[in-house]
Amino acid sequence: MSLQNEKIDAVECSNTVSDPSVWFGATGGIILFIVSIIFIVGGIGLGLGSPFRLGTGAFPFITGMILGALSLAICFYELRGDGLASTPDWIGFCAICSALAVFALTAEKLGLVPAAFLTVFVASLPDRSLSLVGKIILGSCVGAVCWILFIELLNLPFKPFVGL
Amino acid sequence: MEILANFAQGLSIVLQPENLMYCFIGVFLGTFIGVLPGIGSLAAIAMILPLSFYLDPTSALVMIAGVYYGAEYGGSIASILMNIPGTPAASITCIDGYPLAKKGRAGVALFSTAIASFGGGMIGMLVMAVLAPSLAQLALSFGPPDYFAVILLGLVAASAVSNGGALKGITMVVLGLMLGSIGIDLTTGDQRFTMGIPELRDGIHIVIVAMGLFGVSELIASIRDNKKGSATQSIDYNDFYPSKSEWKSLFSPILRGGAIGSFFGALPGTGQTIAAAIAYAVEKRISPQKKKFGTGVLPAVAVPEAANNSATQTAFIPTLTLGVPGSPPMALVIGALMIHGITPGPRLLTEAPDMFWGLIASFLIGNIMLLILNIPLIGIWVRLLQIPYKYMYPTIIVLICMGVYSLNNNVFDIWLTLIIGAIGYVMRLYKFEPAPLLIGFVLGPLMEEHLRRSMLLSRGDAMVFFERPISATLIAITVGILAFTAYKSISNYRRFKTSSSQLTK
Amino acid sequence: MINNQKVLLGAGLAALALTFAPVSIAAPGSWSSEPVRIVVTFPPGGTSDLVARLLAKHLDSDYGQKAVVDNRPGAAGTVAADYVSRQSADGTTLLLANNAPFTISPTRFKSIPYEPIEDFTHVAYIGASAPGLFVQPTLGINTVEEYIAYAKSKELAYGSSGVGSISHILGEAVDAKLGIQSIHVPYKGSSPAIQDFRAGVLDMFYDMVVQNKDMIADKEAIAIAIASPERNPQTPNVPTFREQGYDVVIENWVGLSAPAGMDAKTTETINDTVLAIFSSDEVKERLIELGITHSAMTSAEYTQFVADSISTWAPLIKSAGIVEK
Repeated sequence: MSLQNEKIDAVECSNTVSDPSVWFGATGGIILFIVSIIFIVGGIGLGLGSPFRLGTGAFPFITGMILGALSLAICFYELRGDGLASTPDWIGFCAICSALAVFALTAEKLGLVPAAFLTVFVASLPDRSLSLVGKIILGSCVGAVCWILFIELLNLPFKPFVGL
Repeated sequence: MEILANFAQGLSIVLQPENLMYCFIGVFLGTFIGVLPGIGSLAAIAMILPLSFYLDPTSALVMIAGVYYGAEYGGSIASILMNIPGTPAASITCIDGYPLAKKGRAGVALFSTAIASFGGGMIGMLVMAVLAPSLAQLALSFGPPDYFAVILLGLVAASAVSNGGALKGITMVVLGLMLGSIGIDLTTGDQRFTMGIPELRDGIHIVIVAMGLFGVSELIASIRDNKKGSATQSIDYNDFYPSKSEWKSLFSPILRGGAIGSFFGALPGTGQTIAAAIAYAVEKRISPQKKKFGTGVLPAVAVPEAANNSATQTAFIPTLTLGVPGSPPMALVIGALMIHGITPGPRLLTEAPDMFWGLIASFLIGNIMLLILNIPLIGIWVRLLQIPYKYMYPTIIVLICMGVYSLNNNVFDIWLTLIIGAIGYVMRLYKFEPAPLLIGFVLGPLMEEHLRRSMLLSRGDAMVFFERPISATLIAITVGILAFTAYKSISNYRRFKTSSSQLTK
Repeated sequence: MINNQKVLLGAGLAALALTFAPVSIAAPGSWSSEPVRIVVTFPPGGTSDLVARLLAKHLDSDYGQKAVVDNRPGAAGTVAADYVSRQSADGTTLLLANNAPFTISPTRFKSIPYEPIEDFTHVAYIGASAPGLFVQPTLGINTVEEYIAYAKSKELAYGSSGVGSISHILGEAVDAKLGIQSIHVPYKGSSPAIQDFRAGVLDMFYDMVVQNKDMIADKEAIAIAIASPERNPQTPNVPTFREQGYDVVIENWVGLSAPAGMDAKTTETINDTVLAIFSSDEVKERLIELGITHSAMTSAEYTQFVADSISTWAPLIKSAGIVEK
């Protein structure tokens, strides 16, 4: 749950990027505070147990409480200054994430070589300095190297091509 | 003198041509497999394991050990060049190693880690030769409360690793603890935050967290930097020897790192990560260059490497003399010996002394080989940085995918890496650093395990932590550090803020 | 072998590889020209993994059937079982499984993504090993009777290799049978539990008996009883629960399964080959060292055995209180 929430918040933050005000740093603290609430509530739901038999939720509960306190402290400090470390690069973000997704979707269905090819292709999309042909050549090379390295030399349980 | 005689006997075993060859195969394969991001010592040993069945047990052990420390060393290469730690311990090496590479001093950083690794390995070897029986005894005198206390100390040390200040460091450690609590609860068997996904039942694999937080988020962040052309620094590719004063600055950090590492390596389960984190934290307090830690200074790279490598060697002590594998690679070592009909345990020292001393002697030979092998290679590794980034980053993405997939042969792990990488990138925007989170993630489940076990065994009496001398001492030290840090960070708030914003720039 | 050769070739040591090259005979045992993947439910290094690697090695060296070990750990073996159930039943994917995915998980978990009988062809039974009860020598307990008397005067703590593990289920079953109560302290695997036992933190632990025969011989631990039907020849001095009047028999077995719908001829070839390997002297000796008692079963017998195991284990799992809510 926490993972998803954080991701959604991250995307929302992108809208505020154009105005890197002092408030931005504090949103980090707010996200952490939300995470801490999830763990505190989740921990109570899982059962806190007794000191003798600490319950399943005791540790998430305790860490959630500590994180809650820390996140408030972060909000407090951040409101006094400190903005973003750097403005986010959402194009690169999307390219890398899609590349991983492509590999996950194709590795078992199409085989290692096509998966490596497509992953390289998608990852290099935002890079305009590399021509389309260049991207295709790079993808093919990486696919071939993966075949030799991982399947032939290291013998990982992979199939180079599936269904061909 | 008995030790010297034993050691000479071990040396004569290792110096047999075939053992020398297996030792070389081990360190050679280990280094090269370790360089691949995400494929660490565990995968390297698993790959070499079938071959070991055909060897005699000593050769097999010498080779597997070579793969192990070879891969641990190889892991530091990717950490320095690409900010992708192969092992959690190597994440500490990233902290200063990667800034050094960015400054164009990757060669010097790699050379220093080679030397530090060698130094640490030698200290670990000495400790193992002289103190193996007593260190095994030490591990036996550590009960669950003592483990809890030492892990707590490690976590506090980890938060000091952060450059963003203690507050953000501790926050990341706590977040790591929480991430580590995902999965089946060891003590009750109930699921926690798994959202009904079977792959999450056993928790998130450390390599996924490391690849996501360091690898993926680093790639996202550096695409644009490299488009701007900031990565094309002028690098002298042949200059990798540290200057005379730098040599001097490495000496005592290596000694300290090696000593800290060999102590923690002998405690099964905690090992290299705590060793590297504590060694770095100690150095950050006492080094003459402590103000520059995090910006890329050599002692800060040497210390965790020395600690890591000496801990890697002493980790064989509990494995061989108690039969307790402290880490998954060590479990493989036990498996390899068992297939030869040797059960590691208290009898091993007396029943197979040749194997034990052969292994110790192989640490000497293997580390020398590693040094001879790697110093000429430094020039080649550094040239990797010359490859234009537009070719590098799509390739690294595929390597990360491969490394992650090969953990469990399950594509779910790649999806998880994607999610954690995205979170890691957002964290980076907020100036939160991944290293303390990673350490919290590794140590959190261990801490919880020992905390709850202590409470079960003491029938719910928390005083158990203060009654045992070891845990009481460790907790006192931890509380002292925390109090000191809190006092400093409050009183020096303004100064801390200006210096931290300078550091991260 | 192909694996090793390639690693070595990669290292530029072809000459060495030749000395290890297998004598490939076209033995009748081979059933596929493709390498067979033996999927293991544990990470590398454990007993199951060792058995799989032993099998892979001998399939290749004795029968020229190439085989690789594919570790797919996770969720008490259900990840591996689910994966294998979805592969094609041509004999190239086999599952080396113990009780966990077939007899424990169906009762223990709310839902599992496969049917333990219908979704598999259970090919060959390999063997079983038995856990037992170990106590500190300082307690002066040697028999089950003495143990009951002692445990009634003081609540003892026992270590197991994890919640839902065989040692945990045995611990709870013994408590129930003997009418006593003890504190369960779970560990991640048996070796850290044994470490704490050696350090004197634990009063007792449950674990595989033969694997700890050195501790018994060194008098570091007293093995009160073993949960097999008969005494194990490796530990002849350890009596069974049954002969002391308490009918507790819990064994951890391993066997080989394939996806459902494998043709009878392949099934039989695999069964014959596997049984031949596990009854050869060399392999048998290794199994005995690992504490595994081998016995032969046909595919049909093994299928029946798995089905029976599910029903005999269900009450044990329920009474151990580990059924997922």
